[in-house]
Amino acid sequence: MSQPPHPDYEVVIGLEVHCQLRTQSKLFSPAPVTYGDEPNHSTHPVCLALPGVLPVLNGRAVELAIRAALATHCKVHPHSVFARKNYFYPDLPKGYQISQYEDPIATGGWIDIGVEEDGELVTRRIGLTRIHMEEDAGKSIHAAAVAGSDSTHIDLNRAGVPLLEIVSEPDLRSPAEAGAYLRTLRQLLRYIEVSDADMEKGNFRCDANLSLRPHGTTELGTRTELKNLNSFRFVEAALEAEIERQADLLDEGGRVRQATLAYDANTHRTRELRIKEDAQDYRYFPDPDLIPLQLSDAQIERERGALPELAGPKRKRFQESFGLSEYDARLLTESRALADFFEAAAQAHGQFKTVANWVLRDVLQALGEQELEIERAAITPESLAALIRLVDVGRTTARSARSLVPELVERGGDPEVLVRERGLEVVSDTGLLESTVDEVLAAFPDNVEKYRAGEQKLVNFLIGQVMKRTQGKADPVTVREILARKLAESS
Amino acid sequence: MTAPLPTLQEARRALDSDETSSLELVSNSLDRAASIGSRLNLFLGTRDEAAMTAAEASDARRAAGEVRSPLDGIPVAIKDNMVQAGEPTTCASRILEGFISPYTSTVVERLEAAGAVIIGRTNMDEFAMGSSTEHSISGPAHNPWNPERSTGGSSGGSAGAVSARIVPGALGSDTGGSVRQPASFSGVVGLKPTYGRVSRWGLVAYASSLDQIGVFARSAADAAWLLEAISGHDPLDSTSLPEPAPHCSEALDGDVSGLVIGLPREYFVEEGVDPRVLARVREAVGELERAGAKVRDVSLPHTDSAIATYYLIATAEASSNLARFDGVRYGRRAQGTEDLTDMYQRTRSEGFGTEVKRRILLGTYVLSAGYYDAYYRKAQRVRTLLRRDFEEAFQGCDVIATPTAPEVAFGIGSKTSDPLRMYLSDVYTVSANLAGIPGISIPCGFVEGLPVGLQLLGPPLDEPALLRVADAYQRRTDHHSQCPAEFA
Amino acid sequence: MAHITRDEVERVAALARLSLTDEEAERMADELDRILEFVQVLEQVDTEDVEPTSHVMPLRTPLREDRAAESLDPELALANAPAREGTAFVVPKVIEAEEEG
Repeated sequence: MSQPPHPDYEVVIGLEVHCQLRTQSKLFSPAPVTYGDEPNHSTHPVCLALPGVLPVLNGRAVELAIRAALATHCKVHPHSVFARKNYFYPDLPKGYQISQYEDPIATGGWIDIGVEEDGELVTRRIGLTRIHMEEDAGKSIHAAAVAGSDSTHIDLNRAGVPLLEIVSEPDLRSPAEAGAYLRTLRQLLRYIEVSDADMEKGNFRCDANLSLRPHGTTELGTRTELKNLNSFRFVEAALEAEIERQADLLDEGGRVRQATLAYDANTHRTRELRIKEDAQDYRYFPDPDLIPLQLSDAQIERERGALPELAGPKRKRFQESFGLSEYDARLLTESRALADFFEAAAQAHGQFKTVANWVLRDVLQALGEQELEIERAAITPESLAALIRLVDVGRTTARSARSLVPELVERGGDPEVLVRERGLEVVSDTGLLESTVDEVLAAFPDNVEKYRAGEQKLVNFLIGQVMKRTQGKADPVTVREILARKLAESS
Repeated sequence: MTAPLPTLQEARRALDSDETSSLELVSNSLDRAASIGSRLNLFLGTRDEAAMTAAEASDARRAAGEVRSPLDGIPVAIKDNMVQAGEPTTCASRILEGFISPYTSTVVERLEAAGAVIIGRTNMDEFAMGSSTEHSISGPAHNPWNPERSTGGSSGGSAGAVSARIVPGALGSDTGGSVRQPASFSGVVGLKPTYGRVSRWGLVAYASSLDQIGVFARSAADAAWLLEAISGHDPLDSTSLPEPAPHCSEALDGDVSGLVIGLPREYFVEEGVDPRVLARVREAVGELERAGAKVRDVSLPHTDSAIATYYLIATAEASSNLARFDGVRYGRRAQGTEDLTDMYQRTRSEGFGTEVKRRILLGTYVLSAGYYDAYYRKAQRVRTLLRRDFEEAFQGCDVIATPTAPEVAFGIGSKTSDPLRMYLSDVYTVSANLAGIPGISIPCGFVEGLPVGLQLLGPPLDEPALLRVADAYQRRTDHHSQCPAEFA
Repeated sequence: MAHITRDEVERVAALARLSLTDEEAERMADELDRILEFVQVLEQVDTEDVEPTSHVMPLRTPLREDRAAESLDPELALANAPAREGTAFVVPKVIEAEEEG
């Protein structure tokens, strides 16, 4: 490690991620999965836990769980069991959560992450302990905003939404690695379309476990749990703060006690929420209302077949087959949608490096300015390819073409038509260009003098002036030729 | 006093021949519910207006030649633990006071689709936990044969309603015997189907892996009609069997020649059972032998473990199923509480009766850390052995015959001070729930003027065999037609 | 020796969110103890190599098609609410962070 997180102790981190599965309906209830609705506008007797209701498992959730397990190299278990986790909380309507305990759907996978070590990007393999399915709880909104209020509001829209819990082995060794792991996992889940994995929308949540031990030892120290971590940066900062706290404690000869902590960004410190003396007694037992999940080989293989090319292999292919740099390949494969867009545009155009430049420079910039994801943009791979071709054949200048990208991104359109309508066709009428060049040479006699005296760079200024007078529509190659000829003539 | 309601078969004949109308049947039924039912405390509520409207609609259908099913226009009652949209469901508990369900249970939907008219909800032990219908906010139900005696439980109200000729048919639920035992005490037919036969969607859960909705009627033929109407696969219940409703009526041909009846020696031990009850049961078996059945000795070796197994599994599941009664979204909530924990504790402590609390505590304990393996897990293993007992026994016989209960209806109040003693009265019935097999109780005689029940148990899905034997017996005897003089 | 002590009854009652008076706790401890004594009979049963039954009937896992049903009318969802504000259920404030959300 280029800089270990702490000189005296080895840091041991494990992460537990809960991500929401991309389904239309909830895990055991047919109620719709929505976001941002008014309280209790997406419910059904099942997720309200009315007397007499029963759960029925969502088949799509199972498919997505299998897919996630396969993409992370887990063993998918043909037999897994849903268990009840019993506890009381107002946003848990049944008084138990249906989860998986002793027999989860998948165990023992791994994810490769890239970490910086001595200035180089190195791959580290992070093990996964298990992946299992469970339902989400509703939301408790503590009505502190209402003056004098002593109550909590309960919204069950989210109750019953399907979650995947992904538990890593305690293989992470620094906050930076934790961040890399989360980013890689998020990208993976989006690539395989299992989850939108958007931390801001609350459908990708992370709890962290951290302990310290002296370098060179193998026994695990007492760990604490960090919860309510709302962003990747938050996760890293919280872990840093907790490392400091534990290290200070151990330095003074104290002992770390098991606890759940929250992170305060204002003070950059962690504080105890509650002490975990014993684990809560959840009284897990197999849910008698649900039959154990039995998966056939056919079901599992079907999901394996549905796995798309993942980011890592795609990155490699872009480098090897298209000759792109590692940096460019990484940016282009950031999301599957962007990679697919690029590849389609490049196939349509034929020059991969050229198209890569256009995508990385102009398309990404327009997307950023318009706060759009490529999926929502109106531009199509074919239209980008067509636009670039117009430049290739000299129908318009690169500069003009680039100016059209934001519009294509926002509204779409036919580049050919746009070039014509906006009058961006290259002026290659040599007569007009000759006279414009003459104008410019006449307007800047001093610069012409300097040029002829040896300041060759000034030709760019002169070209610029010609471009200005032609509203950028002159073909710069032709302008350069004419200028060069004329400058040579009168010397 | 309005006339006693006929059987389902009789009612159908009378309707089809215009001797009576649905309106007449239903209004009689409501009258009797209000008078007899009230006196015997068999009902927790009736739905007079809705029932009369449904009766009118049924008569109109019949006039137009559009009778939906044999049950069309006939009044029935349901135990107060099956929900119906717009109607109250209390499970005889304070904690569900005021609760009105926005959705309907599958069994009620199917009954209504068949045209049956639900006249009201019957008294029960709170959350179906009990064997006497004494643990009810409404007070005990009284046995039509002797009002000082218990109807049995937990479906005592439904059993009594059929026994007192208030309705020809009723639904109950059976988790450890709660349909069969009250049927036995009340002198009616009570059938618990194979686990998964009848959808549990809308049945307020007590013990999920044991609960089944069952039917009360006055004959095997009537019970067959009710079972056909309510059973069959339901996608809303993950534990519902894929099979459609069984054709039982065809099995009722009175022929039991060659049928082998197994008598498990463990159920015919003299200890712990009233010898006169055993005598009635043996007579009934003799009657079936005369009809051509063969009798064979069988063994169910793990019988002694059944009650313990049942109470560990049932209370564990119940403790979890009843966690949703927390005062947050429906039902009664304790007032003036300080904080959430206080609200939970007071709501549940005030809302649940003592027996329910006892079972929740036992179930919570049995699942808790350190005890799960020794109690719950162990019980589940013994359950497997009990299932195997039946599988092996049925290799050598078609049905098994036993007493339904070790006694006739006991006095109200006589067992409530000793919960364990109450639990032991389920000794003959719990094994069927643990094994998931169907069972039926049919009247087979009297002891001191109180009914005795013969229980028949069958292999999974073999309700037709049970109904065949029951029907054959009822063609040759008339215990099932007996009625307390007062209600005849 | 008792199978269940008064303290354990109180612990279990807390887990089940039940509050018992001293008298009730005493009585429950006694009754539960007798019931637990009774269930000791299971210790005598040899269950080595016997699988626990969690489901009696062998069934294939029923799966539901992922189609969203129409949501229940919020007014119906809230109709039985002991306390509500708009379309939210209202409960007394949680004193401490009791459980994960």
